[in-house]
Amino acid sequence: MRIERMGREPEFSQYMDLKEGWLDRRIFSDAEIYEEELYRIFARSWLFVAHESQLPKAGDFLTTHMGEDGVIVARQPDGSIKVFLNSCPHRGNKVCFADAGNTRRFVCNYHGWAFDTGGELKGMHEEYCYDEIDIDRKKNGLKQVARVAGYKGLVFATFAEDGPSLDAWLGDFRWYLDMLLDNEDGGTELIGGCIKSVINANWKFGVENFIGDAYHAGWTHDSGCRSMNNGEPFPPVDMENSYHASVNGHGWEFGTEGVGDLFLLGRPKVMEYYERIRPKMAQRLGEMRSQIFGSVASASIFPNVSFLPGISTFRQWQPKGPMEFELKTWVIVNKSMPDDIKDEITKGVMQTFGPGGTFEMDDGENWSNCTTVNRGVVTRHERLHYRCGISRQIEHDTLPGIVYRGQYNDANQRGFYQRWLDMMEADKLDAMPERPEPRLTGVSETRDVPGLFAL
Amino acid sequence: MTKNATFERPQTGQSASLELTHALTQTVYREARMLDDENYVGWVKMLADDLLYHMPGIETRYRRDKTDQVNDLTRMAYYNDNLEEIKKRLSRLETGTAWSEDPATRYTHIITNVEVEMTEKEGEYQVFSNFYAYRNRNEREEDSLIGNRVDIWREAGAAFQLVKRRIILKHNVLLSKNLNIFL
Ligand code: FES
Ligand SMILES: [Fe+2]
Repeated sequence: MRIERMGREPEFSQYMDLKEGWLDRRIFSDAEIYEEELYRIFARSWLFVAHESQLPKAGDFLTTHMGEDGVIVARQPDGSIKVFLNSCPHRGNKVCFADAGNTRRFVCNYHGWAFDTGGELKGMHEEYCYDEIDIDRKKNGLKQVARVAGYKGLVFATFAEDGPSLDAWLGDFRWYLDMLLDNEDGGTELIGGCIKSVINANWKFGVENFIGDAYHAGWTHDSGCRSMNNGEPFPPVDMENSYHASVNGHGWEFGTEGVGDLFLLGRPKVMEYYERIRPKMAQRLGEMRSQIFGSVASASIFPNVSFLPGISTFRQWQPKGPMEFELKTWVIVNKSMPDDIKDEITKGVMQTFGPGGTFEMDDGENWSNCTTVNRGVVTRHERLHYRCGISRQIEHDTLPGIVYRGQYNDANQRGFYQRWLDMMEADKLDAMPERPEPRLTGVSETRDVPGLFAL
Repeated sequence: MTKNATFERPQTGQSASLELTHALTQTVYREARMLDDENYVGWVKMLADDLLYHMPGIETRYRRDKTDQVNDLTRMAYYNDNLEEIKKRLSRLETGTAWSEDPATRYTHIITNVEVEMTEKEGEYQVFSNFYAYRNRNEREEDSLIGNRVDIWREAGAAFQLVKRRIILKHNVLLSKNLNIFL
């Protein structure tokens, strides 16, 4: 399947110069550019659709969006996961209206076509009205996405038949992802439920904030930090021993002090817990990663997933037009954690990064105003500054990716927009450059976990 | 098709006397006034030490779905706070650096459908109410939060203190960028 918009050959490179370090604001507000993003980015990227723990049993399903396309994600009797459009092939009606649940069938409300949990057409109301030549059931199921794959509990899907595998898509970023997904035996799970909210802002502002904007934290979130920690301000940033790392548009910014994000959560018990498991984490992931985990850090997976390792908020920025996104948030914990630690983390996340959280409240306000000012035609043509740390790139023996020194940096943001540009301009996904050339050669180096998609 | 596990409220009990009903109705109105006026010092005084302030996140699910989205405190929630945690949230406003709170939000809480009932415990009353909370910010930002509450209020000297509140907001997707408000 190749979905394309007809007759437009835009030159997206006119909207940025990342060597110079500026962006044109129209990419945050222009309706046509947004439409192109839906085709070129969201209809072709590997997109997060679920965490395996949300679908423990056969028949478990959830509904979500890939770009603006509504999809159903469902666990199959054989343990695999299928992803298909939430739209009936008869007249297009939505077939599932619940956020999540368990079912044997999806039955369309309009004329009663019934689909199994794999999306296959199994029956129709008053079936006798169809002659044999009228319908081929095999061809009239719910439209499947092209590919589904998983990485350590996270389930991704893509509408693109060609292009990189998920492992190649994530590439060396898996080295970083393992700090979140594989820091203890048993892997991770999401706490039950999902909080969704609407923000009048362009989706990229959320992603770029988490991918690298440590800089805003000490200012925007001074009040949040002090409220959670008895008036204490943010710990000072060590520009010598903190980094930005960018891989194919994904990015992780981090210190190496080991405790900053844990401190922000404001939950001493959780801090103690991680201190207890840190030596084991070092054996498992190496000294470096055990020191990065828990530090002031934030990360995004291209194009629209973000999280805070240590604080444990996990979120997706779902595009809803150039000036609106829907923020979906979950709490991610290790399966093997004791229940009281899971509860502490859940409460801590809700108090900091829920819609009423002492940190989150200030973010939405900023992103929304960064976006809506661009209704002004003059304002919209002004450039934005993305040059911070532009000369601080380094080679690092241990850290994969394009690495910059100093956590206060726009490097990962530049990496994100570079990938955005690569994708917006690429006719073939295979032709997109690797940024940088991958260092890891196989999953073994990231600690392979068997039994993916097993029930 | 009568099952609606998501929003079930506790069985109703015996109605309280006219006098108690009046006193508690006035109490929830007074509380609303304090929230409108950002008088959080006054508000906190109305909260009991053993407070549970809970506003669960409610997913849209089919009627047959048995997931308890209301009482299960381990699930995602907008608020799942004890008194200390409420105070922590409020202390953000005291820092002087809560930039997005200046200029201030304009709040109005409209509290209606108040019913007061006796509970098993002496001196504790169950209060049902509906709320319409309106916010307006800066030039023309506005939103409305509508839902219902089930409270437990306890006699404390001449006044009452809030011991437990469960708030059910009728949104699926919170149609606001944040929740800088108590309901
Ligand atoms: S639209 Fe679904 S059965 Fe007709
Ligand atoms: Fe932030």
